[in-house]
Amino acid sequence: MRRALPWLGLGAAAVAVPLVVRNPFFLHLCILVAMWTLLGAAWNVLGGFAGQVSFGHASLFGIGAYVTIMLYLKAGIAPWWGIPVSGAAAAVVSLPIGLLTFRLRGPYFSLSTLAVAELVRLVALNWESVTNGPVGFLITDLPPVRILGRAVNWEAKEPFYLTIAVLAVAGLASTAWLRRSRLGAYLAAIREDEDAAEAVGVDTVRAKVLTLALSAFLAGCGGGFYAFYFRYVDPDAVLAITLSMEMVFIAMVGGLGTVGGPLIGAVFLIAIGETVRARFEVGHLIFYGLFMMLVIRFMPEGIWGRARRLLQRRAAAGAAAPGGLDGAA
Amino acid sequence: METAVQSLVSGVLTGALYAMIGVGLTVVFGVMRIINLAHGEMVMLGMFGAYFGLELLGLDPFVSVVVWAPVMFAAGALIHRLLLRRIIPGGELNTLLYTAGLSLLVANLALFVWTGDYRTINLPYAALPLRPFGIAVPIPLAIAFGIAVLVTGALWLFLGRTDLGRAVRATSQNAEAAVLMGIDVERVATFTFGLGTALAGVAGVLLAPSLYLYPTVGEILVVKCFVIVVLGGLGSVPGAIAGGILLGLVESFGAVYVSMAWKDGIGFLLFLLVLLYRPSGLFGVGKA
Repeated sequence: MRRALPWLGLGAAAVAVPLVVRNPFFLHLCILVAMWTLLGAAWNVLGGFAGQVSFGHASLFGIGAYVTIMLYLKAGIAPWWGIPVSGAAAAVVSLPIGLLTFRLRGPYFSLSTLAVAELVRLVALNWESVTNGPVGFLITDLPPVRILGRAVNWEAKEPFYLTIAVLAVAGLASTAWLRRSRLGAYLAAIREDEDAAEAVGVDTVRAKVLTLALSAFLAGCGGGFYAFYFRYVDPDAVLAITLSMEMVFIAMVGGLGTVGGPLIGAVFLIAIGETVRARFEVGHLIFYGLFMMLVIRFMPEGIWGRARRLLQRRAAAGAAAPGGLDGAA
Repeated sequence: METAVQSLVSGVLTGALYAMIGVGLTVVFGVMRIINLAHGEMVMLGMFGAYFGLELLGLDPFVSVVVWAPVMFAAGALIHRLLLRRIIPGGELNTLLYTAGLSLLVANLALFVWTGDYRTINLPYAALPLRPFGIAVPIPLAIAFGIAVLVTGALWLFLGRTDLGRAVRATSQNAEAAVLMGIDVERVATFTFGLGTALAGVAGVLLAPSLYLYPTVGEILVVKCFVIVVLGGLGSVPGAIAGGILLGLVESFGAVYVSMAWKDGIGFLLFLLVLLYRPSGLFGVGKA
């Protein structure tokens, strides 16, 4: 319970944002930050905690987006119910993918994810009877809904923000839970030395497949939310390689294998993106690439990782001083 | 029958160029254990080099190889010296992510400077294909094939017969032993990265008259490149040549006998199958 308190606090703070941020554009930015936090956390679970670098997470995101939009348009299931179904669908799809690709290690695994993602994109592009091919799907209007007797205004940003804020906080909390869990310890062992992990009896494939499923669930929910918020899904929008790279960027810049990293990474991603996009159309990707290179070169533990280390060092110095370590030295 | 022969011919012609790109990636992997995700962007730079050589200086693309090969070599050597060298001790995942960043940077800088427009190179002597025995052979592809075969042959001789070439192969087989034999492994690495980049760049120059040029073409090329080197076994030069030809054939037969839309998909499927069942490559010579 004590461990849950900070998360409830963070959740409350996140939900309270619309009370302060009234401007729709800034709220839109908050929505993007929360969405990318969720996606960064999804990637980080696998790439950061387990050390399995995926270049194909866009496929899980895209599957989520397609599931939500198709459930709504073809079966009339409202998008907010579609989001968890999207997560579950992405997790289910990830199982066979994981069982196949996790037979490979390190860079070979990364390359295979790239190929899987391209295959998924080609399927979405060419299986026109199901996916509408390159045209994709468009939601023209959302179903009316009443909460506490008031009709929800789908033209405002608040309902979307609240949805994604809850999802993002839940995503971060689940990574915090993962890190403390037995599975998290297995993942750390796998990341440091896979052979040694196997030698002490960790079922590495099982641990990695489970982690991928969790990662896929989060990414799928993110995709479902994307469809709900942007109301438009096509292969270029939700299955592009660039999306996978942006998730990598967030986890990398924020800090691989940290709980808070994705939030920092997402803030950076959106800040760079919006600053640059205002001036030129595609410039933001230049800076994503540049930033990734700079971070790996100078701060491989990421911003959150570096900040935490500095804080710990300061705390250690503070604790040591009154104890009279000086005399010992 | 004629379609089959036609597919065979175009498959082999394209395959030789694929092979050249693959060889560039594979020698770099062999020596440094780096999977260079920015390799496709080097091909792209070569393509644009050929384009601007023709537009601005009136230089024939196939002649401009003489210019772009040393330029790309120098660019690659500099990238290794100034950027990658400090990343390599951090482990293979760091270099993988670092080259991913480099690829984003280069591709989107190009997109910013040159815009996303599709460009083509029209050579007056290449308007109509040659038709030996009723098989259509596009002239630019045929010339590119010839040069690619020459370059790859020269590379083969270089790796087999010269001291530097032997040093590259020795480092690739066992870097520690190479150091003990007095090889300056750092220099070999810089040289190899330059060599790999030059091969990618020259392949780009040669491909330019046969493909559409656009800044993000590297994205699809780099994936194909991985298919090639994994088919042949990462680190193996003959494997990459065979893998390149094989992918060329799979694509051209796939486009004719399966469907145009799925021809890339067949390549990726083959890639996954090989990764899963023969991770050291179809010929069992690579290093998994």
